[in-house]
Amino acid sequence: MAPYTNIPLSPAELSYLQTSLSATPPIRPDGRSPTQFRPLVAEADILPSANGSARVCFSDGTEAVVGIKAEVERTGRADVFREGESEGEDVNATGEGKGRNEWLEVAIDVPGLRDDDALPVFLGAMLSEALGADGALRDRLWINARFHWRLYVDILLLSPPLSYPLPLLSLTTHLALLNTRLPALLSQGDEDPLFNDDWDASTHLYPRPSKPSPATQKPPITLLVTTTGPNILFDPSRDELAVAESVLAVSAAPTASGSLSVVAIRSVDPPSRLTAAGVPREINSASGATATASAGEVLAAREKDEGRGVWRAPRGGVGRKVVAEVVKMVVAKGGVGEEVLAGLEGVET
Amino acid sequence: MTSLKRSHATITPTTTLSSKTYLRTLKSGKVQKIVRELYLRQDIPCSSQLCTVCLEQQASGYHQKAAPFVLSATPAATKQFPQGHYLIPDTNAFLNGMDLFEAEGAFTDVIVLQTVLEEVKNRSLPLYHRLIALTKNDGKRFYVFFNDFRLETYVQREAGETINDRNDRAIRKATAWYNEHLQQAASARKSVRCPAVVMISDDRDNIRKGKAENVTAFPLRDYVSQLPEADKLLDMIPERSSTRDGKAELFYPEYMSMSAMLTGVKAGTLHQGIFNVSTYNYLEGSVHVPAFDRQLIIQGRENSNRAVSGDVVVVEVLPKDQWKAPSSKVIEEDEVNKNENADNEDESEGIVTEQERRALQEEVKKTHASGLENQPRPTARVVGVIKRNWRQYVGHIDRDSVRGGSKNGQAQQTVFLIPMDKRVPKIRVRTRQAADLLGKRVLVAVDSWGRDSRYPVGHFVRSLGELETKGAETEALLLEWDVQYRPFPKTVLDCLPAEGHDWKVPASKEDPGWRGRRDLRDLIICSIDPPGCVDIDDALHAKKLPNGNFEVGVHIADVSNFVRPNNAMDKEASLRGTTVYLVDKRIDMLPMLLGTDLCSLKPYVERFAFSVIWELDQDANIVSADYTKSVIRSREAFSYQAAQLRIDDDSQQDELTQGMRRLMMLSKKLRGKRMAAGALNLASPEVRVEAESETSDPIDVKTKELLDTNQLVEEFMLLANISVASKINDAFPQTALLRRHAAPPKTNFEELSNQLKVKKGMELRTDSSKALADSLDTCAEPANPFFNTLVRILATRCMMSAEYFCAGTLSYPEFRHYGLASEIYTHFTSPIRRYADLEVHRQLAAAIDYEPLDASLQSRSKLEGVCRNINFRHRNAQQAGRASVEFYVGQALKGRVLEEDGFVMRIFSNGFVVFVPRFGIEGLIRLKDLAGSERDEVDGVFDQAEYKLEFDAVGKGKRTVELFQKVRVKIEDELEGSTGKRKIKLGLV
Repeated sequence: MAPYTNIPLSPAELSYLQTSLSATPPIRPDGRSPTQFRPLVAEADILPSANGSARVCFSDGTEAVVGIKAEVERTGRADVFREGESEGEDVNATGEGKGRNEWLEVAIDVPGLRDDDALPVFLGAMLSEALGADGALRDRLWINARFHWRLYVDILLLSPPLSYPLPLLSLTTHLALLNTRLPALLSQGDEDPLFNDDWDASTHLYPRPSKPSPATQKPPITLLVTTTGPNILFDPSRDELAVAESVLAVSAAPTASGSLSVVAIRSVDPPSRLTAAGVPREINSASGATATASAGEVLAAREKDEGRGVWRAPRGGVGRKVVAEVVKMVVAKGGVGEEVLAGLEGVET
Repeated sequence: MTSLKRSHATITPTTTLSSKTYLRTLKSGKVQKIVRELYLRQDIPCSSQLCTVCLEQQASGYHQKAAPFVLSATPAATKQFPQGHYLIPDTNAFLNGMDLFEAEGAFTDVIVLQTVLEEVKNRSLPLYHRLIALTKNDGKRFYVFFNDFRLETYVQREAGETINDRNDRAIRKATAWYNEHLQQAASARKSVRCPAVVMISDDRDNIRKGKAENVTAFPLRDYVSQLPEADKLLDMIPERSSTRDGKAELFYPEYMSMSAMLTGVKAGTLHQGIFNVSTYNYLEGSVHVPAFDRQLIIQGRENSNRAVSGDVVVVEVLPKDQWKAPSSKVIEEDEVNKNENADNEDESEGIVTEQERRALQEEVKKTHASGLENQPRPTARVVGVIKRNWRQYVGHIDRDSVRGGSKNGQAQQTVFLIPMDKRVPKIRVRTRQAADLLGKRVLVAVDSWGRDSRYPVGHFVRSLGELETKGAETEALLLEWDVQYRPFPKTVLDCLPAEGHDWKVPASKEDPGWRGRRDLRDLIICSIDPPGCVDIDDALHAKKLPNGNFEVGVHIADVSNFVRPNNAMDKEASLRGTTVYLVDKRIDMLPMLLGTDLCSLKPYVERFAFSVIWELDQDANIVSADYTKSVIRSREAFSYQAAQLRIDDDSQQDELTQGMRRLMMLSKKLRGKRMAAGALNLASPEVRVEAESETSDPIDVKTKELLDTNQLVEEFMLLANISVASKINDAFPQTALLRRHAAPPKTNFEELSNQLKVKKGMELRTDSSKALADSLDTCAEPANPFFNTLVRILATRCMMSAEYFCAGTLSYPEFRHYGLASEIYTHFTSPIRRYADLEVHRQLAAAIDYEPLDASLQSRSKLEGVCRNINFRHRNAQQAGRASVEFYVGQALKGRVLEEDGFVMRIFSNGFVVFVPRFGIEGLIRLKDLAGSERDEVDGVFDQAEYKLEFDAVGKGKRTVELFQKVRVKIEDELEGSTGKRKIKLGLV
């Protein structure tokens, strides 16, 4: 997948970026540390008639709005209401293990792209995969044996996709889900659901504890991580993505015990793969070399350019060790994941 | 970054925007979050005539006229508030004490807060409508103050605050604001009198908080006891429910929760329907549910579980071993439970008294006998009530329930009220005026029926007057049948033409009134109506055409010309639905000026009309039909009698008489065709009460006689209605207002046809209306001419009632009118007295491009609402009319002892019902009375299969009574000891 193939950087610039990002410690163009996030602006509960909503604005000007609507729906199976059965199910009326992934519908709208274009489809799949992997969410949509909530997560990217928008959309969705409230149920058992008409009485989809505790259930977040040389960089900017050797989308969600756990990892085709390679000086006619080199010679010369003299598109692939290292950095206590979650929790509604 | 969010977080004195959020559950089960924006304003007036500030800044309304201020500058003073006071009641005050607020002269200058009004609307729609009616009543000075839209009185809900607390706070805030506002107004006027503002609330917490905030507050009861006539007013406050000692016995099972009931109904395990109580047996009710052909029977108090006739209930079918046959016994409440004490609920008694239990046992015994009527039918029990249809009931106080010692005291006591409607149980009422109310017709409202009470609890509303007086009884039956009988309000009268009685058809044809109208003033038109008729709806003419055919015209009063859609008069007419005819009184649908003058097709004057003109051939087949608005001049108004005489008088050869003879000839052919098609000739007992003209005291009762001229008019009206029906149905296939008469289900006739077969060897075929009409003709006994009429009366009772409907709601074959054997039918010919006809006029006018159709007639849902209402009003008007005749027949028989022929209509095991054709009355004769015994019950030998009852009559030996038997009965009236009420009593001779 290639959202922006025309990276406006010359091989020399790419090479420069690559070199500085591979240094130890890496030197990022905006001077951030490897795990530091760019500042962002976020607000929640901005759409009054939605069940939950949020807006996040990154400093590079990309901006997204997420609105979440919940609708009561009849569960397909067992339309017949049997007296005897309902008695037994009252005991276990929590919906544990009864939820289904198809109750969650994620739709992404990116300006200038069709719904079935690769980018929105791929982004949607990644986000719903993370949401689905967290079994707690779908179980919360269970009302009773006959009814469930259908959750429509409508994600709207307001700006053009300047950089890979996955982290932006994920964080906005996270914030919206965190603020999503469902009407309070009045009926009991397998009756047709009846709800309290007082909005203030509605309950959070992700219940909030009275005092902050690590054990809180929260929706998952998906972070974008790149590797350049030996370094692991979080929240890559557009330029950093252009030279990334590999791009990983890591989804993590808090577990019941309070620690973070990774629920999904996807590698993303790095855009750097499509950049044009530089030409080594020895065969560059512009720098005075004899212009007799054949195409075969050029290729061979590039292969031999062991010392990284010029920019060459990375071959892809990421080592197991690196992946393990990424996971560790995300889920570790006081690691990147917790930092992001804590940051988003502070957003006022 | 700028925030996209509108901040509603804080309301400062200058923000004028807020919002409120709530959830709404749709019928489909979907849940919507609704956010309403509120724009707060400062120009909502306080509406006190004291205040000049509000008067100046109030926004001017329609016509640049500002609404006049409602609240008096000098409101009523009491001991505590010598300077007068305004009232601000909270929601519960209205919910509990609506009758009190409606009472004449007691409560004036009341501020109804928007918060309260909305809460009342959510809690009870009928009460909301009554409250709205109150605010429109000029004399009462009720003002709706939109406190939630006014900046100063708006209250933002705080975190963690319940809606109720927020609303209470809003009421206190509004009260405080009024207080301050009025003080300013008074000081601006340099007036010494500044009325107090009093909050009425029964919520102790609210009152306590009010005191803390310097708001004067009283519970309703305390406030009322300060007023003059407090005793009378206090009776109108309902008892607080279940204040009796904690371990009161619970007689009735608990209701299921609403959601459980709805789930059950949807799943088909429970059934929803309207609860109906049998008029002969108060312990037996029935519910018709869509799932079954036959009605489900509900027997006994426990199964009917506090349902009152008319409630929408949810029932559960009982297991088969509890199925029963419908009762073959007459059980009347006042007979069974005569000597109960209303005050104490005896612990030994359950909901079923010993007598009641014995009566029910009899039932069970009967079910073992065989016979068609006797097969056990599915029974059910009520598990919950979806909607109470309690209304105000008219009745009288049970003399026995009034405590002897206090018959003239003022002490509060509980008495039983016996409703006029036998299907409604006794109502327990607490009153201080028991002694005064004895022997009076009183109106009560039912408040509640708790599980711990055998009878519903109600409160007294007002007294209508002495029993048996004409005024009280007439008002009673108008109330009982929900007939709107108050004079027309001013807004309605304002819609009348300004010229009043001087209105004339414009002389100049250039006048807009003539647009699209045909000039039919040269036609020889006349009207034929009952004697003394003043609201003449219809007139007729017939003319011979050169080609040998006839031109026949039916001209109907053009009411739609005067009553424009959606104005106040139209709304009132749509609410009333129909004119109600009582024996001595007419309650008009439209104001007198229109009904009896401007619209009425009076003779010798020009009137606007809506004409249907056909060309009919010699055999009365329609060659062509034409519809037009017209101007006519009727030549003569005949009574049926006079028209008949004129037609029969051969010496009259003028054009008018000739025309009537042509009409007569054609009408007979039309009738012949209709009968051949299978129209039913049904009968209902109709009697006319002869009254002395001055005092309108009834003198004699006569059965109505039918002349050929009655049928003449009827035939042409039917023809016009049918023609118009197909015309508007063609023009508006979705919204045409039509009338249908559904074919009765076969099971309805089962009982009657079995009775005829067993007793008379006659067969009643019911497969089509034609078959029924033919077989009804064969059910005759030469020796007994009335027998056929009796069968027709009974057959009519088996049928469905005709109803108005909107064309789009049903498919064409269902439009059929069973009784008239017509494919399509509507009402067009009496717009003065029926609202349906008025709507049809409008549709027809649009169909002939006379005027555009009003939007209200294009919306199916609105028309369905209109249909529901007029169907209901129509039925009630008929019932009220019948009840009125019944009352006058009773009055005519007062003090007389007569012997008459009667027919046995129905047989029970302990009595039988006799119908007396001469007076059109039906009465029950109990074996107990015939045996002359004072014992509780006397049973004869009842052969249910043969419809035969054998018993010992005192002094006459063994006697047998059979169904359809002709008997001689003695009619006398009797004063009932316990009620002081006169009753017609029949006895066997």
